[in-house]
Order: sequence, then structure tokens, then C-alpha cells
Amino acid sequence: MRTFNNIVAEVFKISDAEIHDGLSSKDIPEWDSMNYLLFVAELEKEFDLSFSMDEVMTTQCLGDIRGIIEARGKKHG
Amino acid sequence: MVNPKDLLLKDISVGDTASFSRIFTRNDVLAFARLSGDQNPLHLDEAYARTTRFGRRLAHGMLVGSLCSTLVGMYLPGKRCLYLSQTLFFRKPVFIGDTVVVQGVVRAKSESTGVLEIGVSITKDDEEVLTGIATVQVLI
Repeated sequence: MRTFNNIVAEVFKISDAEIHDGLSSKDIPEWDSMNYLLFVAELEKEFDLSFSMDEVMTTQCLGDIRGIIEARGKKHG
Repeated sequence: MVNPKDLLLKDISVGDTASFSRIFTRNDVLAFARLSGDQNPLHLDEAYARTTRFGRRLAHGMLVGSLCSTLVGMYLPGKRCLYLSQTLFFRKPVFIGDTVVVQGVVRAKSESTGVLEIGVSITKDDEEVLTGIATVQVLI
């Protein structure tokens, strides 16, 4: 099973060492609207959860997204 | 113009399938060679193709792969499709005149983003010649 960081690294093409919760689209060149959709879809598939449209639209950084997964009681790493 | 299907996200479930068949003609291969600029003799020169292990001209792999676009743009989901990504594996050659069957199956669906992951299998005489995964968004 892939971890949250595995999926971040895979979709946004950054190394594991670079990943931290404060990262947002401003910091990651590959974080465009298309990759963000693919990222959310990959997380939903891997962790068997559904984000709401509101959550998808309002998250600002990786920590926000990680927080949603934790709030659903899912282990991600 | 042929009308594409017009499926909404709510109409689509994991496991849904769509399929169609297609025969590639000499003219299709010529048209693709002109359009893409890939004029490799394996596709265009019968005498050269005979000297290879294939023995005759092949359809371009990407011409066969273009049927993935047909699948998502016309059948599953059709009109509301926004094509996001595609993987392709060319497993067996397709020759001019071969009939291929394209089948797509929905493997994952994201309600929040409208993203579908569609497994694509293209077969010839029940053997897979091309496989891949299409990722699309169903537009509202």
C-alpha cells in the first residue's frame, strides 16, 4: 500500500525529503489544477475515502489534505 | 457528425463498460503518417516491411492508441469528457485490415473531482494488442 508521501512524490514529482505539510501549489511547480485532481483521485482510491467538493476546493496545503484523511480515521503512512 | 454519448457522473459506476470495433485501412495508415509525420517504412513501404520479422506493413501504434481517445470522447463518458492522462502498452502488432475491439472498464470513480480511471484493452482475435489506463474528468 502506498503512503500519503508516496502519492505526493509520485503525482507532484518531488522527492520524499522535500515533502512537508506547509507545501502548497505555490511551492510545487507540478501542482497545477490537473495534477491536483489526479492527486485527490489517487488519495481517494488508495485510502478508500471520499472528499467533499468543498474540501477539494478549500484545501490550501498538503497539511490540510493530510488532516482530512486523519479526520476520517484513515492511516496514511 | 456522429453524436457522442452524454453520460453524467451520476450515470457512471465502477465496473461499467463500453466497447466498439474498428478496422484500419491503408488510407487510415497513410492519413496518420501525413498527420503525425511518422513516415517510417515499417508502416508505408510494403517491400521493406516484408524484409522484417512482421512480413507486412503495420498500423502505427499511436494510430491504434488513438482509439483510446475515441473510447473516452465518444462512449465513456462521451460528450462531457476532459482527457487528463493516458498510459499505453503496445503488446502485439496490428496489421492493415485487422479488426480490433476496444473495450473500456471504469476502475475507479471520484465523486469529489469527477475523475474516472478507465482501463482500456484493445484486442485482435481475443488477444490483447494494446492496454492502457485513461484518466478523464466528467465535466458538469
